[in-house]
Amino acid sequence: MEMKKLSLTVNGKLIEREVPTNIRLLDFLRDYLHLTGTKEGCGEGECGACTVLLDGKPVNSCLVMAHSAHGREVITIEGIGTPDKLHPIQEAFLEAGAVQCGYCTPGMVLAAYALLKENPNPTREEIKVAISGNLCRCTGYNKIVDAVELAARKEGK
Amino acid sequence: MKKRGIGMASIFYGTGYGNGFPDVSSAVVEIHDDGSATVLTGAADCGQGSNTVLAQIAAEELGIPIEKITLISADTDCTPDAGTTAATRQTYTSGNAVKLAAAKAKKILLDFAAGVLAVNTIDGLDIKDGYVYVKTFPQKRISVAELASHARFKGNRLIGEASFTTHSTMVDPETGQGAPYYPYAFATQIAEVEVDTETGKVEVIRIVAAHDVGRAINKIAVEGQIQGGVAQGVGWALTEEVELKNGQIQNPSFTEYLIPTALDVPEVTPVIVETYEETGPYGAKGVGEPAMLPTMPAILNAIYNAVGVRITELPATPEKILKALKEKEQKNA
Repeated sequence: MEMKKLSLTVNGKLIEREVPTNIRLLDFLRDYLHLTGTKEGCGEGECGACTVLLDGKPVNSCLVMAHSAHGREVITIEGIGTPDKLHPIQEAFLEAGAVQCGYCTPGMVLAAYALLKENPNPTREEIKVAISGNLCRCTGYNKIVDAVELAARKEGK
Repeated sequence: MKKRGIGMASIFYGTGYGNGFPDVSSAVVEIHDDGSATVLTGAADCGQGSNTVLAQIAAEELGIPIEKITLISADTDCTPDAGTTAATRQTYTSGNAVKLAAAKAKKILLDFAAGVLAVNTIDGLDIKDGYVYVKTFPQKRISVAELASHARFKGNRLIGEASFTTHSTMVDPETGQGAPYYPYAFATQIAEVEVDTETGKVEVIRIVAAHDVGRAINKIAVEGQIQGGVAQGVGWALTEEVELKNGQIQNPSFTEYLIPTALDVPEVTPVIVETYEETGPYGAKGVGEPAMLPTMPAILNAIYNAVGVRITELPATPEKILKALKEKEQKNA
C-alpha cells in the first residue's frame, strides 16, 4: 500500500499522519482517529450518515478521499459538542425528541450546523432542503425540523 | 394541472405475537441502599424508546424519581429474556413485566416498612417521591434509601422478578376463525395529496394521524413513532418497491430503492387517542407498527379523490398514475 503524509485540521487540532493513499476521509476519521461519531451508512453518498464539514461545507465523507482533505479543515460531530457541554443544536434535538435510533443524528446535526451558520433564521422549507441529503427511517423528519427551528430560536437569543 | 384530493383509511391491528404463540417478557428490579433502583430487561431499544418507557414504568411503580432508575437492557450477560422488539409488544408485554417485578420489590420493602412505621398491614402504605408514607397520615414517612439499607442489613433482598405473558388464542386451523390477538390497536389517518396530471407525480401535502394507543406513557415518543410510521407509509404508497429477478434484488441501494427524504414527508399531525387498556401497564397498548398501516390506503384514496383513478398496484408511481389517467380518458371518450 502506498503511504503518504496527510496533514489537516480536525476539530481545531492539527493532525499529521502517514496513511495509505487509497482510504476515504470516513476511514481516516473512524479507523485512524477513532472519531466514531461519524457513521457509515450506504457508503455511496446517498444517506448522509457520514456527513462532516469540510472547510465549513457539509460533505459525505464516504465520497471524499482522505488525501483530498490535505491542508483543509474538517469538523466532525465530536467537534460540535461534548456529552458535558452539548451544542444548542444537540440540546434542541433532545428537547424536541428528534432522536430515535440515532444513526442519522450526527449527520443531521452537522447539516443543521452548516445551515444555521449561513442562514440563522431558516424557514421550515429551507430546513427540509438543508437536511434532504440525510436519510432518516425512524422519525419522519418532523421532529428533526422542529429541533432545527428550536435551535435557531435558541441561538438567536 | 395540479389537483388536490383528500382520502381516509382506518385500521385495527392485533399487537403481540398472537395465535397462541408464547409471548413472554421477563424483568428483574432491585432497590438499592441509596434509594435508587436497577431494572434488568431483555427488551432491545432500537430507537422506539423502550428504555425510557420501561424506566418510567419502574419509577412510577416504585414511587421514586426516574433519575434514580438505572436500566440495563438487551445484555445477554445479565438481562432476562423479553422476546423480540417486534409485534408492537415491548411497551405492553415488557412494560407489564417491569411493573410486576417492581411491585414485588416494592412489596418486600413495604413489608419491612410496616414494622418500622408501626402499621399492621402494608395496605395503608405507599411510596411517593422517594418516601414510604402512611396513606392516612402522610407526615409519617421514611425515605426509601434509609429503609432499603436497614431492610438489607436485616437480611432482606429487595429484588423482584416477574414474567408477563400476553394472552392470545390459536385460531381454528380449518376455518381461520377466532380471536388470535389481544389487545388490538386502532387508527384512522387522513391524507391530503396533490396530483400533477401532466407528470403523474403525487405530493403528500398533509397527514393527520389519530391513534388509539391505550394510555400514552411518553407522549413525545408516541408522536415520534406515529410520524416515523407515516413516513414509511408514504414510501410504501409512492416509491418503495423491492424489485426481484430470479430471487435477486435488482435495486439494493438508496439510488434505486427510494425511501422518503425530508422533502417527501409532509407535516404529520399526530392525534393521540388515549383509551385505558385494563390489561396494559398503566393502561398502555402499543403504537409501533399500526403507525404506518393506514397511510398507504389513505394516500391511494386521496389520489382517487383528486383525479378519479384507482391505483391497485404499489407503489403508485407517476408512470402508473399517468397510465391510469390515460385509460380513464380513453374509456370516457
